[in-house]
Amino acid sequence: MSAVTAPIALPSVNADPGSLRTAWRVFWRGGLMSYGMLFNWARPAIYIPTLIGGPTFQLLFFAALGSYAAGRSPAYFALGNAVQVSALSGIFGMTMAIANERFFSTLPAILATPANRVALFTGRFLPFIANGLFVSLYAIAFGVVFLGVRFEAPTLGVAGLALLVTVFSCTAIGALQGAISLRLRDGLFGANLLMLSFLLFSGVNIPVATLPAWMQVISNLLPFTHGLEAVRQAAAGAGLDRVGGLIAIEAGIGVAYAVAAFALFSYLERSARANATLDVR
Amino acid sequence: MSLARSVRLIWWVTWFNVRMLLVSEFFVLLTFVSPLIFATLAFFLFRLGHSTGGQTLLYAALGSGMMGVWSTTLFGCGGAIAWQRWEGTLELLVNAPTRYDFILAGQAFGAVIFGFAGILMTIAWGMLLFGMPLTSTFPLLLPLSLFAAVVSLGALGMLIATSFVLYRHANALSNMLEYPIWLVAGLLVPIATLPAWVQPISWLLAPTWGMDAIRGATLQSQPPWFAIGMCFALAVVYYFLARVALRYVLHLARRDATLDLR
Repeated sequence: MSAVTAPIALPSVNADPGSLRTAWRVFWRGGLMSYGMLFNWARPAIYIPTLIGGPTFQLLFFAALGSYAAGRSPAYFALGNAVQVSALSGIFGMTMAIANERFFSTLPAILATPANRVALFTGRFLPFIANGLFVSLYAIAFGVVFLGVRFEAPTLGVAGLALLVTVFSCTAIGALQGAISLRLRDGLFGANLLMLSFLLFSGVNIPVATLPAWMQVISNLLPFTHGLEAVRQAAAGAGLDRVGGLIAIEAGIGVAYAVAAFALFSYLERSARANATLDVR
Repeated sequence: MSLARSVRLIWWVTWFNVRMLLVSEFFVLLTFVSPLIFATLAFFLFRLGHSTGGQTLLYAALGSGMMGVWSTTLFGCGGAIAWQRWEGTLELLVNAPTRYDFILAGQAFGAVIFGFAGILMTIAWGMLLFGMPLTSTFPLLLPLSLFAAVVSLGALGMLIATSFVLYRHANALSNMLEYPIWLVAGLLVPIATLPAWVQPISWLLAPTWGMDAIRGATLQSQPPWFAIGMCFALAVVYYFLARVALRYVLHLARRDATLDLR
């Protein structure tokens, strides 16, 4: 005995995968969905302790350590760390937004679609840039209220631009880490290592000029180094004419990491198809 | 359960946990890499402040190492019961004829002892890269200081394991509690430089007295008997609090049939 079932009527799909409109939908809606579904920390019970509580105590710790050990103003360390904490979103968030596709078994389904890959990939940036900005702005506000961080009013916009570019470039290296994590058993190892490296190399706590030469080479290749310096100078009153170069370098570093991340993602996609390892965890 | 069997059980669980942590990339980073980065950072900061004496470097190396011990204790114990639940072993362990609090103690000691390996790394790092001298004012007291610190942090680890399980996202709590304890326990910044209201909080924390005991045996001119005594006293208090919390947690889990709920 067999039962004949009526074919299920699916809504017809009118979207042309190659059209700009579809690419925009993938970019915008896909980005938002990836944030909500793949970012494990996007719920208050985790978000508040990790992205609000953690940065608060990080600022207090380094402000106390820096002023005790180096004899500098707590505001110097507070501002550096307030910008650096955006990496919690940029690095961990982007790593989860890309690598969790594999761990949640959604990667094969996504890669089976004809969706525009550039839109699919870059769409993930926006929510994490916005989130990183929010975390940083909160930390800066905390620094202003409690730790003596000050901004010159006329160059506030320049500082804001430098912050935005810095958060973008941090998110870009997070995307690269996410792409690398598609191949690793524990992607968060690299993410944690990056977070620690920023504290040491990027001028967050120690002026880059005082580091040994070989460390300065690494500093110049990492996000934050130029952007944070631009934020510091703009906070002290430097205009776009003086910090524009630093902002441009930071943007260039960010674009380079984003392109490298996309290239690696594309390579891993081709490799996974060829070796039938798309859903191997 | 005889004393010998209890000690044997705790020892085997400790050893088993150390081996488990050794293959975890996250814990290797937390114990061996992160303290080195913080030690380097501290060395550079003290150098900026023109404090480059051997005593200062040793102070920073010990403090950075203890930061790693605290991180390993926090993450290793904070999620201990939750991991057993996810792995499906919690039911078996709770219902085994052995005492579950001893198993938990072994897990906590495993995390703490694993963390202490990081201190050796930071000392070696300081000696190799920054020319830090290795001295000890009371070398014979150093093993006792280390033992006292391990016992008190292990007992605190048990308390963390039994209390964090009440919060569904224990790792989020751990993410938040690294920096404040580093600060309040005076691991790199002397407690005397913090606001007065913070100091009573630091007296309740095992890392404060553990660090005092170790620094007392290496850097201070007076033997750290008081700090060693505080370590043991706090360990007793933590252990009894942990047992009360454990009884409550297990009662809830049995009543609601959530022992194996993942």
